[in-house]
Amino acid sequence: MASLKHRQNGIEIISYYTGYIVLIVASLMTIPIITSLLFLEWNPMLDFIISDAIAFILGILMIMYGMRSKERNHDIQWKHGFVIASLSWIVLTVLCSIPYILSGHSLSFVDACFDVMSGFTTTGLALTQDLDHISIGLNMWRHILTFIGGQGMVVLTLTFLGKEMGGAFKMYVGEGKDIELVPNVKGTARQIWKISMIYLIIGTIVLWIVGMSIGLKPVSAFLHALFIFASSWSTGGFAPNSQNIMYYHSMMFETVAMVIFILGSLNFGIHYAIWQGKRKEIVKNIEIQSFLVTSFVACMLALAGLAKLNVYSDAIAGFRRVIFNVISAHTTTGFGSIYARQFALEWGDFGILIMVVAMLIGGSACSTAGGFKGLRVGIVFKGLIMDVKKLLLTERSMNVYKYHHLKDRVLDDTVIKSSAIIIICYIVTFATGTILGTFYGYPISASAFESASVTGNVGLSIGVTTSSMPTAMKLFYIIAMYLGRLEFLSVFALIGYFLGGVKKACKNILKH
Amino acid sequence: MQKYIKTLIWVLLFTSTLTFKVNAQSFTDINELIEKAKEYNGEEVTIQGEVIGESMKRGDYSWININDGTNAIGIWLDSDIAEEILFYGNYKCKGDTVKITGIFNRACKEHGGEADLHSSSFEIVKNGYEVKEQISPVKIIIAAILTIFTLVLMLILVKVIKKRRL
Repeated sequence: MASLKHRQNGIEIISYYTGYIVLIVASLMTIPIITSLLFLEWNPMLDFIISDAIAFILGILMIMYGMRSKERNHDIQWKHGFVIASLSWIVLTVLCSIPYILSGHSLSFVDACFDVMSGFTTTGLALTQDLDHISIGLNMWRHILTFIGGQGMVVLTLTFLGKEMGGAFKMYVGEGKDIELVPNVKGTARQIWKISMIYLIIGTIVLWIVGMSIGLKPVSAFLHALFIFASSWSTGGFAPNSQNIMYYHSMMFETVAMVIFILGSLNFGIHYAIWQGKRKEIVKNIEIQSFLVTSFVACMLALAGLAKLNVYSDAIAGFRRVIFNVISAHTTTGFGSIYARQFALEWGDFGILIMVVAMLIGGSACSTAGGFKGLRVGIVFKGLIMDVKKLLLTERSMNVYKYHHLKDRVLDDTVIKSSAIIIICYIVTFATGTILGTFYGYPISASAFESASVTGNVGLSIGVTTSSMPTAMKLFYIIAMYLGRLEFLSVFALIGYFLGGVKKACKNILKH
Repeated sequence: MQKYIKTLIWVLLFTSTLTFKVNAQSFTDINELIEKAKEYNGEEVTIQGEVIGESMKRGDYSWININDGTNAIGIWLDSDIAEEILFYGNYKCKGDTVKITGIFNRACKEHGGEADLHSSSFEIVKNGYEVKEQISPVKIIIAAILTIFTLVLMLILVKVIKKRRL
């Protein structure tokens, strides 16, 4: 009986905090409502009013249901924090897909959820139909989703609702972030948003000026700048038109976007440290070292491989088509400066392999990027070197091995093990996606490319992701994006919590 | 009987004429250009599709983007010709349908390795138009009811929170 009551309390806590997260994200729908109003798009405006109201109603009901737990001052445990983070992502994916369904640009509910999850996880793959004719309101919503997804919904809620969110750190960690910029987690959440908003202003202005210089009209240039910034900074890869970054036909526009997505793929801790005047962090940080080495090697190998196939004739083409795409893959952005099918038809197996590896490695931990993360690759690599050194040294010598990530840290077996476990989880998800793709008849290289893209939250496509692909693959890709973004543990906690509840319920039924 | 045979011959003739017209498509799909890029590279091709977005003027020449339903591609053409386009496809407009003949480049040397088409001939096949929004009254009623319900629930929530704090 006591355990049943305990579980009931747990559900109330989860409901209460998830309700607040839903309310905060739902309130963001006022932005596309105002946008639709400004551009006189009446149908999208009504779509967003309906969606917003449904989300608000659900959020309020969840808070009311869980309010008793707050009255009894029940503490949030780690499991609650992880379940709140992972559950709120699922609830919000369903709620935020309503405007897509009402717009008529999604062929099914699964397609709409796919696009929302793709946005939240900053993947950038899209199944939305006829992108070139969607409303400015819906385009605004797509890019808001990817922007807040990059920072995190929990981070957003903590920024606005400091007082109501007790046990905030547990939810914050549950969303795949663990960095503490200032001593308290609410302050850290605010710093993350402060960093993002300052870059938003600067990046949008720069892209706006470049947009007008390449021939876009001022209002249109502003919207394109805002959308491309949101996508670049969050390493998302959405764009307002079907041609993605190719729509602009401009090296300058691509270069500015590339600078923004490289910055977006860096750890918020590094941004904060640099702002605090600790410039040496750029040179010393293990993640930056790891990113520089892996991106340089990937670019050089891809350039060499494509030069051998004589795909591009000069250095400018090499920069715009090879380096741009490799860095876009490595930072898990997913902007494509060539057609999806050109990867399959022109880049060859070697080029595809380089892209797959780059997509899986990904950007930095506690950034907007996905993938294994440079930090983990660096730790595992240093761990390997440490083990080799230990073998070569005498048994009596006791060396302490360290790595630098914002501060000097001891490299021990626990750190290496936890990094290796997450990398293994990514590889298993990637392998499952590849096997599923080949099961449905796609070539192995195409299956691997697309699977790496969804697992690493990249968004580049080789042509597999279309609305006509099998529903099982769409569902798996949704799960893979979700797992990749939350870095597995929160989702495992949610599954464990759910299965635990089912098990106890079954036991009670059998007892009676 | 003769009458039936005559009718049958006429029907056959008519349908075969129709078939000939469909087969004789005088333009290439954009997707086919991408799929067979090496084959079409440097060749003169004709495409037909809707102009989308807006034109981007770069001096004497401009970029426009064409979507034919299979894919979209950038067209490099004379700025004076681009000015002839009245409607660009977006949420509020169906863009002009244009037929463009030009040289297809798989990886254009002039434009940083982009797959594009340099126009040599341009024709507006069908004028675009403004799309009138059809607003469903049911949608308005649902939006109004849900908004009222949300406001009531919000008031209740605020009251409960205030009561709890007292």
